[in-house]
Amino acid sequence: MLLPDIALHSAVVFRAGAGKLAAGSEPRFAAGGRRVHGERVSRHGNAIARERGAAARLVAPVTYIERRGRVWGLIAEQAAARGGRVSAADVCAAVVPGVQVSGAWLSAGLDAQAGHLMQVTDEVARQLADLQLTLGEGPLLDASGSGGPVLASDLADGDSGARWPVFAPAASMAGAAAVFAFPLVVGAIRAGVLGLYRDRPGPLSDFQLGDALVFADTATLLLLDGHERPADLGTYRAEIDQATGMLTEQLDVNITDAFVRLRAYAYVNDIQLADVARDIVARRLRLVPDSDLPPG
Amino acid sequence: MDGQLLSATFVELTDTMVADFDLIDFLHVLTTRSVELLDVSAAGLLLADPRGELRVVATSSEAARVLELFQLQSDQGPCLDCFRSGQPVGSADLNADPRWPQFAQQAGEVGFSAVQALPMRLRDQVIGALNLFRGTVGAFDPEVVQIGQALADVATISLLHDRSMRRTDTLNEQLQTALNSRVVIEQAKGKLAERLGVDVNQAFTLLRDQARNRNQRLSDLARAFVDGTQVISASSGSPRTSRPGRVGQP
Repeated sequence: MLLPDIALHSAVVFRAGAGKLAAGSEPRFAAGGRRVHGERVSRHGNAIARERGAAARLVAPVTYIERRGRVWGLIAEQAAARGGRVSAADVCAAVVPGVQVSGAWLSAGLDAQAGHLMQVTDEVARQLADLQLTLGEGPLLDASGSGGPVLASDLADGDSGARWPVFAPAASMAGAAAVFAFPLVVGAIRAGVLGLYRDRPGPLSDFQLGDALVFADTATLLLLDGHERPADLGTYRAEIDQATGMLTEQLDVNITDAFVRLRAYAYVNDIQLADVARDIVARRLRLVPDSDLPPG
Repeated sequence: MDGQLLSATFVELTDTMVADFDLIDFLHVLTTRSVELLDVSAAGLLLADPRGELRVVATSSEAARVLELFQLQSDQGPCLDCFRSGQPVGSADLNADPRWPQFAQQAGEVGFSAVQALPMRLRDQVIGALNLFRGTVGAFDPEVVQIGQALADVATISLLHDRSMRRTDTLNEQLQTALNSRVVIEQAKGKLAERLGVDVNQAFTLLRDQARNRNQRLSDLARAFVDGTQVISASSGSPRTSRPGRVGQP
């Protein structure tokens, strides 16, 4: 129990806790040549800040926009090499070199168990996908259930063994040492799951994790509406989610269809998605069935 | 300063070991207690998304304009500067502050004159920032800043020292799950607002109250409501039945 009078002097708490954590103020070099640098903080802050001493990890300004542009470029290259329109399958192929994993698979559908395997990059990935369906346990099933990623950077460690007593050893036998599962979700909307594996243990770096999340976001949008170029979601806006919820009532459809209709309305009428969403939330605009058709 | 509430809050913020621990509920407590204890107008919490954005996870007010003001700081504002430097960043008079013109203007429109951002930081790891707003011009009382920082510190330590969170993987899993839960909550707010003809802020209050009454996590109730497996009625709050707004039919 942390007593309030001790907690107030949080410097004490920091000292007490410091020994339990590994110091990590060394400069870090992320994959892809980007540098995530540490920097000595010299400003005279308050007592708490001085007590901390260690340099803050300053995230090099890799913005979401830059990251998304780069990831979309890699996906488009795959599609061009294949000679087809951009599809979720291209995400699967592009993510492997993109975040330096050994292989990937993608299944589409409401959940991993009911979904169908759309794409695998190699035989190990196929076995990993099959194993989870046969065994009924594994990172992708958990990711699909929680709506968040499941990152098992070492299938041989105790955590993974306890979590998936049957899947973990079977996956190791199949040739995987680490599995990373990304649910293809937008809130309550579920479009599928993206699985990545490595033949050596080790976590995704922060940089790779950020990229992997954007690959997964892109796959989600491609699965949901299959536009050649996913409509720009831009910076995160709560209004888009709120408007989607409102449309379930206005159109009497489920949340997935409401999202597709919202995006279709913006796309067909050539209006920014955020602007359409804002008008709907402010009740300046209501959609009725077929109202995504252009005026006239 | 309410000493008893402060003590109770510190206990609350160390209570991450419970079986049904929910990151969103936990951070929501941090923002509402910040408002109650620190005599500020609004508090919000932004967490770092590995995609490269700061994302709002919990706020003391769910009013659309306030939410927007918090989220705007993914682009510019004291939270972004605080997150990048790992140091507290504040402004005693936003109107006279040239650092974040768009942010200052929007803050003024909502009625906020002064701001303080406090890092959620443990040693070299900055996971987000706690953001406090006040309606009156003037520097924040040093005691307010110190206690606000202590609240943020205890919350950060509780999260990072939680046995299950010690793996970086687990922390990232939890943060992403929380961000997606936040999206589910927004979707539920919209659905409920439309169904009952209330605004999204009232819809949030209803959702939160009913989650408490049912002893359910907010994100679980929100998901069940969006999926259609649980119904929420207008038993608390004062919904209107009218549905204003024109029909967007071509």
